[in-house]
Amino acid sequence: MSVEPRRLLGVIAGAALALGVGIVLGLPFASRAQQPATAPPAAAPPATPAAATASPPEGYVGAETCKGCHEEAFNKFSHTRMGRLFLKQARNPREANACESCHGPGQAHVEAGGGKGKGGLISFAKNDPTPVEKRNAVCLSCHTKGDRLFWQGSAHESRDVACTSCHKLMEDVSPRHQLTRETQIETCGTCHVQKRAQTMRTSHMPLREGKMTCTSCHNPHGTVTPALLKEASLNDTCFRCHAEKRGPFLWNHPPQIESCANCHDPHGSNHENMLKTSKPRLCQQCHVPTQHPTKPYGRDTASLKFVLGQSCLTCHVNIHGSNHPAGFALTR
Amino acid sequence: MRTTRTVRSVLVGLLVLGAAGPASAQTAPPTETAPPIEIGGFRLEGYGEAGVRFFGERPTQKESAKFEEYRDINQGLYLQGLWLRFFTPDEKYSGEISGRQWGLQDQEYRLSFERRGLWEAGFEWDQMRHIFSTSAQTLLNETSRGVFVLPNPRPPLSAYNNARGIDEISVRWDTARMFFKFSLSENADLFAEYTRIHKDGEKPFGMAFGSPGGNAFEVLQPIEQTIHDFRLRGTWATERWQLQAAYAMSVFVNDLDFVRADNPCQPTPVPSAPCAAGDIGTTKTFGTVSLPPSNTAHTLSLQGGLNLPLRTRISSNFTYSLRLQNDDFLPQTSTNTLPLTNPSVALPQKSLHGNVQTILFNLNATSRPLPIPVTFTAKYRFYDLIDNSDVVRFQAFVINDQPTVTPGPTFSQRFSYMRQNADLDGRWQIARPLALTLGTAWERWDRPNTREVPESDEFFAKAAVDVTPTDWLMIRATYLPSFRRINRYNTNALAQVEQNAAPGELGQSFLLRKYDESDRDRQRVDLMMQITPTETLTITPTASYKFDDYIASGLQHDASGPGQKGAMFGLQQAASWSAGMDVNWSPVERLTLAAGYVHESTFQKQRSRTRTAAMDDPALDWISDNADTIDTYHASMTARLIPSKLDLRFAGNYSYALGRVETRNPNGAGSALFNSFAGTNSVAARFPAFEDSLLRLEASLRYHFAQAWTASLNYAYEAFRKHDWRTDTINPFVPGNSAIYLGNDLKNYEAHIFGVTVGYSFK
Repeated sequence: MSVEPRRLLGVIAGAALALGVGIVLGLPFASRAQQPATAPPAAAPPATPAAATASPPEGYVGAETCKGCHEEAFNKFSHTRMGRLFLKQARNPREANACESCHGPGQAHVEAGGGKGKGGLISFAKNDPTPVEKRNAVCLSCHTKGDRLFWQGSAHESRDVACTSCHKLMEDVSPRHQLTRETQIETCGTCHVQKRAQTMRTSHMPLREGKMTCTSCHNPHGTVTPALLKEASLNDTCFRCHAEKRGPFLWNHPPQIESCANCHDPHGSNHENMLKTSKPRLCQQCHVPTQHPTKPYGRDTASLKFVLGQSCLTCHVNIHGSNHPAGFALTR
Repeated sequence: MRTTRTVRSVLVGLLVLGAAGPASAQTAPPTETAPPIEIGGFRLEGYGEAGVRFFGERPTQKESAKFEEYRDINQGLYLQGLWLRFFTPDEKYSGEISGRQWGLQDQEYRLSFERRGLWEAGFEWDQMRHIFSTSAQTLLNETSRGVFVLPNPRPPLSAYNNARGIDEISVRWDTARMFFKFSLSENADLFAEYTRIHKDGEKPFGMAFGSPGGNAFEVLQPIEQTIHDFRLRGTWATERWQLQAAYAMSVFVNDLDFVRADNPCQPTPVPSAPCAAGDIGTTKTFGTVSLPPSNTAHTLSLQGGLNLPLRTRISSNFTYSLRLQNDDFLPQTSTNTLPLTNPSVALPQKSLHGNVQTILFNLNATSRPLPIPVTFTAKYRFYDLIDNSDVVRFQAFVINDQPTVTPGPTFSQRFSYMRQNADLDGRWQIARPLALTLGTAWERWDRPNTREVPESDEFFAKAAVDVTPTDWLMIRATYLPSFRRINRYNTNALAQVEQNAAPGELGQSFLLRKYDESDRDRQRVDLMMQITPTETLTITPTASYKFDDYIASGLQHDASGPGQKGAMFGLQQAASWSAGMDVNWSPVERLTLAAGYVHESTFQKQRSRTRTAAMDDPALDWISDNADTIDTYHASMTARLIPSKLDLRFAGNYSYALGRVETRNPNGAGSALFNSFAGTNSVAARFPAFEDSLLRLEASLRYHFAQAWTASLNYAYEAFRKHDWRTDTINPFVPGNSAIYLGNDLKNYEAHIFGVTVGYSFK
């Protein structure tokens, strides 16, 4: 099948954009199953969140009551993404409970006079006696779909990592995703100390420059691929940006077909091109034929061709695969 | 003298208390703000920060490859960051514009709109330049894209050391992304995304001439590539079950098919040395190397989860992917008339008809059925890669554009494989502070008969302990041994399939075990602790250890006949360990300190032998111990000297890496054969160690004034050092060596960067 991508893509991209624009322009006031309980005010900004105009259900006290004692936290929360949704554009009664939708009904806490541990609320603090599973269930009651579909049984879930270990909902620390630290590397590096250190290696992908993040490749909420990779396989994850290695090629390098990590360390290396070991030694771990790869080489003149520059790849340049009829040795 | 000046500059800079604010993340807006701004029914909030940046010491053009590897750091005016959000007072509609590094090579922007809780649409633009070299040289002249010519008559090889410098070898990545999310209902979402990555530039590239081991030439690979990635996903979720369907299409377009470069040894330069004899006096005046072909991938996936009674959940995924590639072949050679005069090298077909399908199936189940806190987890994963591309038979072939034909046939074999994984474990929360996990796992590879090992099985055991004896102490420890066993190792697998080569003719030693296919015993231990003696102090020690022992199974230790005696070749052992600690402490509310250190060490032991078709003697065995050690330090301090008025920040990172390749001959002593090779590259020699280090120091003093304004003084110091015998003194031409290089060397650099910025925030 010959590929004519540009035209086809132009049609698809245009159709997708047209569809998106059409939905945006044509459905701005679409009626939905769960509209806010009360219509939003026409002009002046509401003095209170829309949901608060309705009486809270039994056992609940309403966000304004919480604000009475926790004003600083409330104000910070009101500027977060969740805060704006819960306090001003709640889509259903649960979201309209605002603070209590996560922390639990507050009446007992208020009647007990407030204070830590009073009233059976879930504080989500590190020393909260509520089991992690129960805390996470609160988050998952809304956030099960999408990236969290495979959370249960995932590496993090099976080690009792709480959602709040990585996410901070009460205030904006990071620009996006409500993280506990300013950047993803710092958040993940809280536990994955070695991986954070690897971003400083000389041969690296642009994580420390801010051009990539941990979630460029990983989904920490759980995936179907080992190492929490986002795509169906490790190679498919790499091919999202390095599609020139995808092939299929006329002539192949079998270990590359199976896993890019057979040769590369994607988190960084002190060897060129993020290789696990320098060339020619890396290649010599699998190639002991009767031709030149078997010599140990050194600094003598005859060795330099196999050690300097691209080393083995000065000749075997299409190491990831070649589509050239004369490329059986990956030199063409 | 230079060191003293450097230290003095650093101290001055630190005293001046600047900070080139962290180059990575956009900083969150400050909290002290001016009164709200309202325009046309929309409120505005945002902040911007701009200023002037100048260098006290700037890396030269030749030194800038590593300094600006993925960055663009200008001198003069710059926009540190801009963030603007507009929203209706009821937060029903909002939009956001943000960006950083505006106008520079690594600029990025984001624009998004949202009807809260209903839909969100956005556009992102990201530029990045990856610099490979600023110190290369070449006599090549690019006459058209990807076609490089040399002067005629060919200059002597030594003339390449006086070649013109290449200012920059780099590739610019331009990434545009559009997305749209729509909540059809509380339970249903739609998501569409289109990403376009365009790459433009060059990168170092090799080209071989002549017979194997003949002269080689380092040229440039032109890059004009585009990736179009389109994704569509629909999700329907209830409290009890979730279902998700997705489609992705990825199209890779390469605007260029080949690189062509003149042969520096043909026509014969004067003097001809050290061009290899086989490369002189022939007609292969230029070489043509193919570039990656355009390709397409379609991926369909269906996944879902279901909550069952007894606190059981099942989730599953099915993904099907189709990869296609059908670019026309280049001729076997363009250098001479062989394709026209010799029918044996005519192309048997026009293109590959490349077709690879992958099937992925996952089934996971977790259950907590018992009244005691025990969780059972079972997983099964099946991944099948089926290469249905044509096996193309070439009657004869041309090696590296030589004018001669090598008789075949040769076949473009396909390498499908199947991988299966199964996991089973149980986690018992014995008591509140103690949880124990025990489990087992299995991994199976099935490979085609073109590969050495048709079947391999790896068995894992798992033991993990999570202990929280007190509120301030958490310990996680994991032990994960595994044992991989193969059914048989057939060195002649490919030869037997092709039926055109005698056993051993393809040359691989029978003693070789490729590490991705061999028997292996692995031991792995991970440990992490988190100590929080107070609410404001967290200490995180971590350690890990992994040891791979590659076992010489199935080898024949027959003393008769060459190559049949001796230890296994290939990777023998691989070990890695790391240990580190992170400390975060806020002794008082206005002060935060952080520091950390990680030591990493990796070791690989491999064995091989200098051998030819006629010589295969253990006296010429060699062993290489390859070791890397890396130390990484970081420290930072953030202080609110005057709350809401004056902030001070220091940060530092330092990383040092040392690599060693130590090779020796274990059997050579006393051997006449070994002695006959003394002084040649057939006997082992230890490589000199290579090292590199990166130091970055930052300081920032930020002053808040007039309710919404900030002014900051910034200083950053960076130093990169490298010692690598392979590149430190490299020239394009190395006497006695027929290869011509670009002479690329990542130079050491130092940089002192000062900046003054002013920011304004409003809400």
